[in-house]
Amino acid sequence: MGRIQLENVTKSFGETQVIPPLDLSIEDGEFAVFVGPSGCGKSTLLRLIAGLEETTSGRVLIDDEDVTLVSPSKRGLSMVFQTYALYPHMTVRKNIAFPMRMAGLSEAEQNKRIMAAADSLNLTDYLDRKPGQLSGGQRQRVAIGRAIVRDPKAFLFDEPLSNLDAALRVGMRIEITEMHTRMGTTMIYVTHDQVEAMTMADKIVVLQAGVIEQVGSPLDLYRAPRNLFVAGFIGSPKMNFIEGDEAAKRGAQTIGIRPEHIDVVDSGPWTGTVGVAEHLGSDTFFHIHGTGLADILTVRAVGDVQMSHGDTIHLCPREGDIHRFDAAGLRLS
Amino acid sequence: MSDRRLPRLLQSPAVILLLIWMIVPLGMTLYFSFIRYVLNNLRRPEWTTPSFSNWRGWGNYDFVLGVKGFWPAAFDLAIPLALIAVAVIAGGAALKAYLDAGPRDLVRRARAHLGLGHVIAYFMLALLPMIGFVFFFGDVSFGTGKFWLAMKNSLFIVGSILFLTVTLGILIAVLINRVFPGRGIVRVMLISPFFVMPAVNAVLWINMILDPVLGLQGLAVAGINGVIDSLQTAPVVGSFFSLWPDLEPISFRATQTSAYAVIIMVTWQWTPFAVLILMTSLQSEDQQQKEAAILDGAGAWNQFRFLTLPHLARPIAIVVMIQAIFHLSLYAEIEIVSRGNGNKNLPYLIGEFANNNIGAASATGIYAVILANIVAIFLLRMIGKTLMD
Amino acid sequence: MAIVAQTTRRSRISRATLAWIVGLLFFFPIFWMVLTSFKTDADAVKPEFLIWFTPTLENYANMTENYDYWRFATNSVITSVFATVFALAVGIPCAYAMAFRPSRATKDVLMWMLSTKMLPAAAVLYPMTFLTKGLGLYDTHFIVIMVLMLINLPIVVWMLFTYFKEIPKEIIEAGQMDGVNTFGEIREILIPLAWGGIASTALLCFIFSWNEAYWTVRLTTTEAATLSKLIEGNRAPEGLFFGRLSAVSAAAVGPIVVLGWFCQKQLVQGLTFGAVK
Repeated sequence: MGRIQLENVTKSFGETQVIPPLDLSIEDGEFAVFVGPSGCGKSTLLRLIAGLEETTSGRVLIDDEDVTLVSPSKRGLSMVFQTYALYPHMTVRKNIAFPMRMAGLSEAEQNKRIMAAADSLNLTDYLDRKPGQLSGGQRQRVAIGRAIVRDPKAFLFDEPLSNLDAALRVGMRIEITEMHTRMGTTMIYVTHDQVEAMTMADKIVVLQAGVIEQVGSPLDLYRAPRNLFVAGFIGSPKMNFIEGDEAAKRGAQTIGIRPEHIDVVDSGPWTGTVGVAEHLGSDTFFHIHGTGLADILTVRAVGDVQMSHGDTIHLCPREGDIHRFDAAGLRLS
Repeated sequence: MSDRRLPRLLQSPAVILLLIWMIVPLGMTLYFSFIRYVLNNLRRPEWTTPSFSNWRGWGNYDFVLGVKGFWPAAFDLAIPLALIAVAVIAGGAALKAYLDAGPRDLVRRARAHLGLGHVIAYFMLALLPMIGFVFFFGDVSFGTGKFWLAMKNSLFIVGSILFLTVTLGILIAVLINRVFPGRGIVRVMLISPFFVMPAVNAVLWINMILDPVLGLQGLAVAGINGVIDSLQTAPVVGSFFSLWPDLEPISFRATQTSAYAVIIMVTWQWTPFAVLILMTSLQSEDQQQKEAAILDGAGAWNQFRFLTLPHLARPIAIVVMIQAIFHLSLYAEIEIVSRGNGNKNLPYLIGEFANNNIGAASATGIYAVILANIVAIFLLRMIGKTLMD
Repeated sequence: MAIVAQTTRRSRISRATLAWIVGLLFFFPIFWMVLTSFKTDADAVKPEFLIWFTPTLENYANMTENYDYWRFATNSVITSVFATVFALAVGIPCAYAMAFRPSRATKDVLMWMLSTKMLPAAAVLYPMTFLTKGLGLYDTHFIVIMVLMLINLPIVVWMLFTYFKEIPKEIIEAGQMDGVNTFGEIREILIPLAWGGIASTALLCFIFSWNEAYWTVRLTTTEAATLSKLIEGNRAPEGLFFGRLSAVSAAAVGPIVVLGWFCQKQLVQGLTFGAVK
């Protein structure tokens, strides 16, 4: 089991309140991702759940049990840190064994679990090395191994992939997702990368300045962002925001349209000049100036569209995919 | 909750021990400094046990200074302190002006890392002229008690040691900062004196090196005299050299010279400390800055004066302050060289008073605390700056 | 490098020579002391610069009967070792709490600890004598150990604090997540990780304790007297016993000088309270 609930939790450092009163519940077996720009309080939130930070007020519940005053070592959670936080003076084997040793498991049981974890994480050949002799990806696996052997109620990941290079990151992303499917344990994952959030999560929690902006499945967030912040944060490239006449015409203060929802046509309602054109082969991204709608309009065309700097371009938005927002930045339905 | 209390619990043994160590004896010193308390007095046996009924007020402080009444005493203390302040500020300003003068681009480059720490550093460098000041005027203006003699000796010994160790320290640090064959060995040889225990240091120097007859000094003087003698009997130049006098070896246990013996031996021991710290600091000097200065046409001297010296200002200040605190309580060397004859400093005076007049010893102790605190405040400020980063 | 290119060969050689001369000059008194310790007392006071002589070990062999060296040395070892052990026992938990569970007061507590180091010892000379005699602790190992520990505690806490701060906080937190209690954290993670730092702190504390020459002289007479007291008591050799005095002095400082060579770097940190790096 691993159902985690936060009730009215706040956190202040001295005078500054970094988390205003907040409620959240994460169901058993769910993969929840906290995402937001740096400094939004997502790591603090994770550390509150872990017990590494004390709540200023409110309650933390794990499986309906109040653990607010329970020390991190007694909460039954595992954590994977951004810097891996392996014990440099211990071999890989000892690192992985450490939480079991602390829990007082038998030697035989320890070895069994170490071999199982090493097997599934491809670490069998490295068990007697020290962390200093491993690559970044291998260290990350050891950290994960150390987390899984103790059979926690939930896994906490604090930006675990941000110290890896891009190629490894994609691979590890898939491995962690597979691990979740296989084990079915609750996972809470903190990242600033919305691509990671979209690809991995069952449930995304978007945070800004300690406030939850929206909670939902990745596609909920993509299809129906609750406000301008979520709309701009989820999706890549970013959603285009248009104000003025074009928005007023549709009864909104601001309208938003994603680059993939604008078609390049021979003649259409919007016209502009191509600035930078990014040809990726599968897609082409155009940065378009002079539309009179926004400074720059980003448009994604499927396939390789042959247009270059200075060309005039005609565009047609898909009306059904336009998001409308009111003066307060909230979604109009 | 346990998480919040635990850190305090872990710190409490250290904090409580140090608190007791600081407060109890110092509190007693403060109390004794205000009462009449002597160990032996046949006529007034009631003075031989500490009691509030023997209250003496500022009497011990007056007695130690050799003046009567609060205002004269305060005045006596205020004049040297004012002189110190003037000397520190004037000296600091002059030093800063000296270091700031020069080709503009070089100064700007050096300024890049000039901060408040450096300003304090210049002030601390100015400690040296200040000590000279007090020493010079000490005879003229102030009370005649043993206190001023001890204070003068304290400041003279500390000031001289500081001047010598810092000067030698800079020169040697710069000298061995570059790689040369056997640098490791030279370093080990240089640092060794620092680990010699003070008692051995003093015994070694005063007996085997500085002794006028048996020490190396005696041998060296005898040797030079031998050379002169043989020149005097030489055929042609003899009549010329016969006008030269024979050298007299110096007795370093005498009243006039015993302070110098202390200065020599402590300088020998603490120059390695200055070298070690300044060398550590030299290694963090920005080499690119130096190369840029070379391209700007700065010679070795200008590089030293406008880049290296400002870079060293802060570590020099730290060397000065730490040594000042250590040397203000010099004791073993004084005891061994001449038992305070001619080099009696404040700690030694306290020790002497403590043989009988506890009240006076305590009052002197409080003065010593005040003196040390003046230095300590500057030092703690500088340390505090580097603390939490 | 440009700077090296500037120096000519001749100036390089003269610099190296000068550096060697300075090094030899500073080492000379120690060398002379060791040399004298191998001379007979008669040789030692000969009015000539005696380099070549028949070395003898009799000064070392007779140290016990001349000065009762081993008793003082034993006291030095006992007091320094226990002072170091106690200082670490009190200092490690304290520095751990300061480095990994800092509060707003941590900085002030550290500064205050250092300030206790800056009080002149002489100011509390009589109260200390008074208290130790009153409590029957005068001239006991216990009081010497306590005093040595207390005067070194600020430096020990400070050095350990700077070493501990270099350990990433996450590693300690990982330990907490892995189910270790505080005691286990210190034993299983902190001490193995900071082993080098703890060892050099201990070394420095030991050296300072061994060389301490104010309280060890003023608070002891015979029972707990250390080597500082022994040497101080023989400040002027009665008769001309330079040879044997040199031997006992060399035996008193030799081990420490050698230990000192191994902790030059830590010395800078320990003595400047981390203000020079």
